[in-house]
Amino acid sequence: MACESNRFSMRMILWAVASAVLTILVAGLQEAGIIPPPLRIVAALAPVALMVGFFVGMGRYLRSMDELQRLIHLEALLFQFAATMLLVMAYAALAKADVIPNLSASRVMSFVWTGAFLLWGLGMVVVRRRYQ
Amino acid sequence: MTNRLRVLRAERDWSQAELAERLRVSRQTINAIETGKYDPSLPLAFAIAHLFRRPIEEIFYPNGGPDA
Repeated sequence: MACESNRFSMRMILWAVASAVLTILVAGLQEAGIIPPPLRIVAALAPVALMVGFFVGMGRYLRSMDELQRLIHLEALLFQFAATMLLVMAYAALAKADVIPNLSASRVMSFVWTGAFLLWGLGMVVVRRRYQ
Repeated sequence: MTNRLRVLRAERDWSQAELAERLRVSRQTINAIETGKYDPSLPLAFAIAHLFRRPIEEIFYPNGGPDA
């Protein structure tokens, strides 16, 4: 079971890393102006398409677990979702009030992704303790 | 819900890991059930009852004892 779980984790990490690498690559090519206009939409959405693989892997990973592990992961995801939404809403409200700088959507996206993964990990630690 | 899983496991001299392997769940799940922090689903409760060859109500019962 642990071996299967590690296999799914590794696949998810690979999809996420591939998407991140492609995001950086596309951003670099866009800045250099190398991408021809007809391919701009495809290039911009390519990292998003790779994240589909990540979420499919996540679904398989959840289904491969036993019932308690699945419950822990789902509760951790709820924690992550709530915390991410609250932070994003708080940031947006403060930016609107000109208290903090108003970031571009692409910059916010990178913070949200990083924050979401960290909060998922934090959620796992918090929820796991409840069942120990 | 309370259960006699720890007692039944001890009678057979099985470790939590061994029981987990027989039930195809994680050791953490067995530990959480034994300590009363997690109530198993009906399929898992039936699998436990089948493994120990006992009726389900002899293993799991409401808080306060079998007659509560």
